[in-house]
Amino acid sequence: MPDRLTLPAGFGRFVAFLILVAVVAGAFALIEPRFLSSQNLSAVTRHMATNGLAALGLTLVVIVRKFDLSFAGTACFAAMTIGFLIANGYDLWVCILVGLAAGAAIGAINGIAISVFGLPDIVTTIATGSIAGGLAFLYSKGRTIFQNFMQSGIIDLNDARILGYSVSFFFLIAIYAVAWFLMHRTRYGASFQATGENPVSAYFSGVPTKLYTFLAFVICGMTSVLAVVLILAESGTADTNEGANLLMPAYAGVFLGAALLGGTSVLATLAGTFLITMLLDGFSLIGVPYYYSDGVVSAILLAGVVLFDQRVRMLFHDLSTFLLPASEPREKRP
Amino acid sequence: MTGPALRATAVSKRFGAVNALKDVDFVLEPGEVHALLGVNGAGKSTFIKIISGVYTRDAGTLEVDGKAVDCRTPHDAMMAGIATVQQHPELVSDFTGYENIFLGREADRPRFLARIDRTALKRRGDALLARFPVDIDLSRKLSEMPAVEREIVAILQALAGDHIRVLILDEPTSTLTEVEKAVLFRLMRTLKASGISILYITHRLEEVIEIADRFSVFRGGRKVATMTPAAAAEQGLSLAELMLGETLSSVFPEKAAFPPGETVLSVERLGHGRAFSQVGFEVKRGEILGIFGLVGSGIDELSKVLFGALPPTEGTLSLKGRPLRARTPREALKAGIFLVPGDRRLEGLALTQSSVFNITIGNLGRASGFAGILRRALNRRKSEEFAARVALSPPNLSMPVSGFSGGNQQKIVVAKGLFADADLYIFVEPTVGVDIGARAKLYGLMRDLSRTAAVIVMSSDCDEVHGLADRSFALYKGRPIMRAGEIMTRNQLLLAGILGEARDA
Repeated sequence: MPDRLTLPAGFGRFVAFLILVAVVAGAFALIEPRFLSSQNLSAVTRHMATNGLAALGLTLVVIVRKFDLSFAGTACFAAMTIGFLIANGYDLWVCILVGLAAGAAIGAINGIAISVFGLPDIVTTIATGSIAGGLAFLYSKGRTIFQNFMQSGIIDLNDARILGYSVSFFFLIAIYAVAWFLMHRTRYGASFQATGENPVSAYFSGVPTKLYTFLAFVICGMTSVLAVVLILAESGTADTNEGANLLMPAYAGVFLGAALLGGTSVLATLAGTFLITMLLDGFSLIGVPYYYSDGVVSAILLAGVVLFDQRVRMLFHDLSTFLLPASEPREKRP
Repeated sequence: MTGPALRATAVSKRFGAVNALKDVDFVLEPGEVHALLGVNGAGKSTFIKIISGVYTRDAGTLEVDGKAVDCRTPHDAMMAGIATVQQHPELVSDFTGYENIFLGREADRPRFLARIDRTALKRRGDALLARFPVDIDLSRKLSEMPAVEREIVAILQALAGDHIRVLILDEPTSTLTEVEKAVLFRLMRTLKASGISILYITHRLEEVIEIADRFSVFRGGRKVATMTPAAAAEQGLSLAELMLGETLSSVFPEKAAFPPGETVLSVERLGHGRAFSQVGFEVKRGEILGIFGLVGSGIDELSKVLFGALPPTEGTLSLKGRPLRARTPREALKAGIFLVPGDRRLEGLALTQSSVFNITIGNLGRASGFAGILRRALNRRKSEEFAARVALSPPNLSMPVSGFSGGNQQKIVVAKGLFADADLYIFVEPTVGVDIGARAKLYGLMRDLSRTAAVIVMSSDCDEVHGLADRSFALYKGRPIMRAGEIMTRNQLLLAGILGEARDA
């Protein structure tokens, strides 16, 4: 007798995810055949790279059970910093490194305030994000920076292609592969997970929980800068609200992915980001104004968060046991 | 008609394979103060939880004032005239005494957005005080009241329901000073005079003689005696002896067969704030040292100071002959100390993660190699080996640890300790929520660990400490009570831990 075929855990959820993707893609393709054109698919992958990078750092923050609402402001500040440096003729890699350092610095401020001083994460990051967003105006009094962009080479990041797809997409896949390895195959990933799962038991197990909470915020600041570099490359200018649109898709990616695949993880975020980007792109392709499509996607995000929330699921569970009283607890022993 | 206020007949309760309560008959007279005594796990808590509607009994009947009652929820019990004051009452510290007493019962009939009539609250509160005279200013906020007045507010809150006949007090004196205790006892006598019966749980034997009309002793889920303190004194019965009876000696492994080896940990005049002070002891490789202490005795803080989670405020520690200055559990683990914490779900485990994850997380240096990459095959093999050694059941290393029973979760924590490879293992309340079978296995494992390491077991279960340890002492209100060589009989240990006395018994 051969053993019964056993599927890896989460396989069912993965299949459900693929079916959902197929349904959404099919629906868009029916309404607008151009949805499946290579031009559009290329655009989807490019936008996915942007959203996915922003969502990656956020994933770590959510894994340590915190929230970061500052990274959009951080991204705006970094965008203007990079734009300012480009306009002043610095090498592109210098500009990007300084931008990353700025993102890391704001993340470090968040991390120290929250993990060392114990300030509430949401309030702290709203404040630092607003400050960073305000500082973005200092370089040019709020005017768009475009000087020297053509010559700097940043546009090439957007235009370069491998096998017909943007380089940024392959960069996204590479960085997610590294992140997956880090989270699931190294002691550092185990420490992140232990910190988020139960900070007290992690602390008692010798995990430096404050350090890992701090690191999550630093990484979140840096990945949001990587995301905004791609936005700069696409638009060819630096604007003070360049990173403002990163917040919603990133949160939607993290939480929708967690709801679909049964927990917050690097791969879940990648899946969630894929779906969200496809939805946003599809809506814009069929001519739905952004204020409607944002609304629809935010509603989907809300649904995802509700389904992911333990208490809400318990509520449904309690409700179902209440409605189906036939399932008796446990039989008493004789 | 003057029947008993409360009559319980043949009440039984099982939890899985454990008989928590077996055929308990109990009578509470009107206007009686009746103390319930027993060591942890004797069944007295289960008994009052059944009376107050927290648990449902498996068998037996309950009568209040001669009428059969069926308390399935705390609200049922309240309607039947039974009110309970918890050990740590839930009160709102920003509200006044009046507001707390009538919390959720501000209006006679609940209406949406009803205004709270503070004058009416005061009138009703003062009426309550007229019925049960006690000197207290209820217009103050709870946060401004001393502990005894908060206790009184909790009692008045319990009595505010109509026609309360039975009041249950769960260790009301544990946080009170001697003077405050006298105030509480005065109120108890007032209540008694007005015909209310009081069921009173305590660990303090001297209080029983002072306030109780009668007491009942629980042991191993049975009620073994009910008598007056005077009758007990007449018959020369010691309350401590009654509480102890016979131990389940078969659960415990043999004591150390060999003389212990080198000293692993030595502690001198150690203290932490007001929690404990002047604690000094040594523990050697090859032995188990037991420390018995009730909740609030300081054993919890002591374990955390030894593990680096709390800083000592006085005294010195040395590990294997060298001064130990662990400021975090991380440093303590590196030095070779492993703590099996008292609350394994909160402090010991990542519940949604697998056993392998939980076993290896305590020693990630051992679990990973180059660049911090986890040695997955090795970790799996070691986890399997340790899971087999602790007899983990079911031996499924991939499922989330939340799916295991309490005893098996504790075994996973022990396996985690094996992987951490420490020189000193500290167990705090190792068998809370663990059934008898798994308990014997855990005790065997602790003895097993003591062959190659030093083991300290800290518990509020006197039998556990005495049955397991080679040497033991007690902690009473932060003070160590010990005898030469830390050799104590079980009764000496019990008296030391619950009375703070080192006399013979």
